[in-house]
Amino acid sequence: MVDVNADTFAEARYKAIDHILHTSLAGRGHHALTTSDMLDRVFLHKRLGIPVFLSLMWATFQFAFAVSEPFMVMLESVFGWLGGLFGEPLTPLISLWADGICGGLGFVLVFIFPIMFLFIALAILEDSGYLPRAAFVMDRLMYRLGLHGRSFIPMLMGFGCNLPAIMATRSIDGERDRLITILINPLMSCGARLPVYVLIAGALFGAYAGSAIFSMYVLGIVLAIIMALLFRKFIPSLRGKPAPFIMELPPYHRPDVKSVLLYMWSRAVIFLKKAGTILLGGALVLWFMASFPWGRGVESSYVGMLGHILEPLVSPLGFDWMAAIALFFGFLAKEIVVETLGILYGVGGSGAITGAVATHMTPVTGLAFMAFTLIYLPCLATVGIVKAETGSWKWTGFMVLYQLVLAYVVAGIIVVVGNFIIGVL
Amino acid sequence: MKGGKIVIRVALIGNPNVGKTAIFNNLTGSRQHVGNWPGVTVEKKEGKCTHKETEMEVVDLPGTYSLEAHAIDERIARDYIIDEKPDVVVDIVDASNIERNLYLTLLLLELEANVVIALNKMDLAASKKYEFDIKELSLLLGVPVIPTVAKTQSGMDKLRDAVLDAAVRKDKHRKVTVGYGDDLEARIKEVEDLILTDTYLANTYPPRWLAIRLLERDDSVMDWISLSPKRDQILEVARW
Repeated sequence: MVDVNADTFAEARYKAIDHILHTSLAGRGHHALTTSDMLDRVFLHKRLGIPVFLSLMWATFQFAFAVSEPFMVMLESVFGWLGGLFGEPLTPLISLWADGICGGLGFVLVFIFPIMFLFIALAILEDSGYLPRAAFVMDRLMYRLGLHGRSFIPMLMGFGCNLPAIMATRSIDGERDRLITILINPLMSCGARLPVYVLIAGALFGAYAGSAIFSMYVLGIVLAIIMALLFRKFIPSLRGKPAPFIMELPPYHRPDVKSVLLYMWSRAVIFLKKAGTILLGGALVLWFMASFPWGRGVESSYVGMLGHILEPLVSPLGFDWMAAIALFFGFLAKEIVVETLGILYGVGGSGAITGAVATHMTPVTGLAFMAFTLIYLPCLATVGIVKAETGSWKWTGFMVLYQLVLAYVVAGIIVVVGNFIIGVL
Repeated sequence: MKGGKIVIRVALIGNPNVGKTAIFNNLTGSRQHVGNWPGVTVEKKEGKCTHKETEMEVVDLPGTYSLEAHAIDERIARDYIIDEKPDVVVDIVDASNIERNLYLTLLLLELEANVVIALNKMDLAASKKYEFDIKELSLLLGVPVIPTVAKTQSGMDKLRDAVLDAAVRKDKHRKVTVGYGDDLEARIKEVEDLILTDTYLANTYPPRWLAIRLLERDDSVMDWISLSPKRDQILEVARW
């Protein structure tokens, strides 16, 4: 006799329902295929569903990068011009303006364009009703892998920001499933990491920049799934079978221009607010640390001293001390990684920052740096919310620790494999 | 019974977005009380109404797709039906989405609840060109089916009548078993028979329901089974 389980009964119940409705309900199934049914046949297809999802995501990042690039170049040159208004940065005050405000904060502000275009694309996918289907398709895969179904919705939200995504895990039934979902959520690449990818990929990968950015998002999803599987397998308190669940798919409809623009604007406002507060503060502190003691050059500045202390930690990965500093301060907010590079390269005397990236990183270390930024630490606010939601310093500490180790391992693999491939070529 | 007046306890249940709140409001009007379910921060709404001189106490159970005890909402609904044994359970079914909705109905029938179906959103179903054979549906499920449109209050009086009727016939209602096919039924019967040998277990929980839960590997029923003297035999037959 075959073994039975919950799925056997669920199937039998639907069969029974079908049987009941067969005689008691006329008009069912007679209607022609609706557009919605037809779309679902493609988007929810057993084998095509995931390739379709990945293609759409790739198109999304390609769009966000390609469309925003000319705008970024324009705004960057505006800040370049503003920074040069008072001539060469020979006094602290001019340097603060040129390198700190325009070169640091201004440089981050440039990235408002990819953020806006990414969220326009995501809003269209969401508003049209596709995104819940993507969640459904991913879910089917994840459930088969032994992960909890409902966890992909918070994971998709993590593309925007990990903070609300982690709060959204409250909709997950079991404490165990919820904890796993929280622990892997920071691996979903949030909007704050986008500027780092755009900067590095734009400088190093040319026409393939969009694909390189896309690869980071896929890497995040894949790592999240792998980690969840490992946690479930090897951590005794997280072991167990996930609970099945039912998901309601909203009807498809034409995205509403107003709500798409509103969504984009709300993300832009969040970014601008961050720019006015933590990124501005970061720019001032970093500029100060990079410029003083005055006149001794960036290498011997305070930040240079700190950087040289940190450098041995990341030099095996091929990162220099400036990258180390960027990652160090990036813990406050990931946009600061970009800001730091802007200020350090600027104070160090480089004119065009994108050009400076190419002199400081090879494509291999660049890719490793992107992956490291993706994985190494969630931002400070995320750590806070994880503590609040898990109520445990132990799990919060565990999360920080595993991500640091994972970042190192993944970046290491990229460097070793990448250099090997380049050596062969 | 209080002063010769019968008070019947009614529980409302249904999937999310079926118009459960609208029906609750229609039934109870302003006589509502909002509190929390014990121990959790899930809202518990209770209300009262009088129909044909009979007092009804209506409890609004959380909206849920199933009765497995995984999620807190499902557990509240399930435990209420098992522990409080309401006189009538009004299952609100979205007629325009009936396949999915009947799933919960089948689970309620397994639980041997005294079910009355409010077949809601009939207007929407009609616009989808659905034509229900209400009599046939009622016959196949073995419970009264009342077509309603909650937002226009249509069908509410018939629903109240049906609830009253069902409460009176509580212990005599015809039990229809929705069959799961010969193979599964044989398995269910095997476990059920064993459960029936433990009188306490069989009297506390619906035996067929318990058997199905065991076959479904629902570990939330383990606490009850583990206290039974027949524990090992039951688990063996259910192949745990």
